[in-house]
Amino acid sequence: MSLFRREREAIVRNDYAEEFDFEEIENFLKRADKSLFTSYKFKNSNHLLAQPRGGFPTYDKMFELYKEFQKVDTDIFPLTIDSHTRLNDYATAKKMLELSEENEVDMLNGYPLINHGYKTTRVMIEHFKKPISLRHGTPDARLLVETAIASGIFEIEGGPITYLLPYSKNFPLDKAFLYWKYVERVCAHYSKFNEPINRESFGALTATMVPPVITIVIQLIEMLLSFEEGVKSFSVSFAQHGSVNQDIATANVLKKLSREYANKLGFEDSLIHLVYHQWMGAFPYDKELSATLIDMSTFIAVLVGADKIITKTKEEAFGIPTKEANAQAVANTKYMIRILKDIPKIKDEEEEEILEAEVRSVMDAIFNDSADTLWRKVLNSIKKGIIDVPFSPHIINANEVITVRDSQNAIRIIERGKVPIPDKCYKFEKSKIDIKGGRKAIVDKIIKDIGIMQ
Amino acid sequence: MRVVTGVVGNDIHVVANRLIEISLKERGFEVFNLGVNTYLEEFIDAVIETDADVLLISSLNGEAEGWCRDLLFYKKNFNLKDVVFVIGGNLGVGETKAKDIIPKYKSYGFDLVFHQVDLNEGLDTLEDYLKSRK
Repeated sequence: MSLFRREREAIVRNDYAEEFDFEEIENFLKRADKSLFTSYKFKNSNHLLAQPRGGFPTYDKMFELYKEFQKVDTDIFPLTIDSHTRLNDYATAKKMLELSEENEVDMLNGYPLINHGYKTTRVMIEHFKKPISLRHGTPDARLLVETAIASGIFEIEGGPITYLLPYSKNFPLDKAFLYWKYVERVCAHYSKFNEPINRESFGALTATMVPPVITIVIQLIEMLLSFEEGVKSFSVSFAQHGSVNQDIATANVLKKLSREYANKLGFEDSLIHLVYHQWMGAFPYDKELSATLIDMSTFIAVLVGADKIITKTKEEAFGIPTKEANAQAVANTKYMIRILKDIPKIKDEEEEEILEAEVRSVMDAIFNDSADTLWRKVLNSIKKGIIDVPFSPHIINANEVITVRDSQNAIRIIERGKVPIPDKCYKFEKSKIDIKGGRKAIVDKIIKDIGIMQ
Repeated sequence: MRVVTGVVGNDIHVVANRLIEISLKERGFEVFNLGVNTYLEEFIDAVIETDADVLLISSLNGEAEGWCRDLLFYKKNFNLKDVVFVIGGNLGVGETKAKDIIPKYKSYGFDLVFHQVDLNEGLDTLEDYLKSRK
């Protein structure tokens, strides 16, 4: 038995997990319907695909949610995991699942996949015949991903940076990288039997004033780390910034450089997709205004040529949406996608040139680190502040970069910290900003900039 | 002037925490930010380690009271009488009035207490207080 197989046997042997039959799971993969694969859906679609978020604790409520999504012909279904499972606390998840089942009250904010197990969950997934995307936020997703793929979930979101820096204060970075390396290897392994498993990065990050250069660099890195382990299909992503022009520039640079870096490192045969998140920041406390904001996001996703859009609902400001509101949001998004035709190509040469130069400079700094492997170079770059995510709660994140919005709501870097933004680009960024009232007014400006859509 | 700051207890309000750090730096303080989810004992350790002049604790989820009751004990045990203790944010759960809350936190050993006060206004008051102590 290979070392990797022995490692996998150890991971799936868990008090809260059912017994894993790897042979049976591989056979399931071989015979699995193509309709369950996001990668297959991408290959055979010529329009923007819509995917909501959503997860309920009990099997029955999850089934009801999927029924709602089925009614509006949702392209890709979500399976959102509860927060205890995300932190590997399966004991609490089990208790809360039992309480949810007994009392008809949701005691979890998602579906506790480990406790339900793959055999049960697979029945639901095979019933609906739709590709499912795993949405979580787990630094150690080894058991979760084993269970997900065994269930028929063939798209896995996350990554060692995007599921760590926005979510955790002190989870060790090296462990996050190694645990995600395991996830990539499992995805690569199962990709051999049928259509490839699709991996997706979470480019929204903290969804708070993150400049495009940071988002793009992290997308490229997580993509490369995934391809290094043998993954063949990957989605890079980002969330609506607030400025339409900045979204277009981000999409163009991200598309160009993801292909370029993948090819440069020898992954010419890999598939790369672009995912756009509808506004991820604070929503207005008004359902109709929220609906308008969501429509605008959809328009931009079509404009930038995304392959998939992840939807919000007009109940965003008020908590977890009802299944009806969630499905209605998908229907509205799909309607917009269907009627929007013949959008002109827009390109801001200067904006893209600056952004591309910034990304190349940071990527060079990462590759020039003296460590021997890419993940160690990246880890060192986070420690050194070369990668610095605004508003990350993680103690290792440098927190030196400061951004504000310009008059057109584009996010601009006014303090670059240790991120190697070239002088020319830094000058350009700063030239867009004029804060009245001196540096003391900066905090009021940032507060206003965070709440720009409210 | 050295300031230790952070969010007390099981509170993850990172945006406010970061804005406090930026504001303090803009005002010329040397800042040691312990970030979110910090316990009182960790704050005290950091104050001693950095020889800080000010400890500025923030809380947004309203649960600070339970985490701060031992402050007098630490002040006495570690002889921290020259350190200015400040707490600010949203200091009670539900509808709460400043006139009820402020005396309670002062009795725990805080010199300045800001309940639902604008950040710049609070920091102006802190700077005036520090000047008046000289």
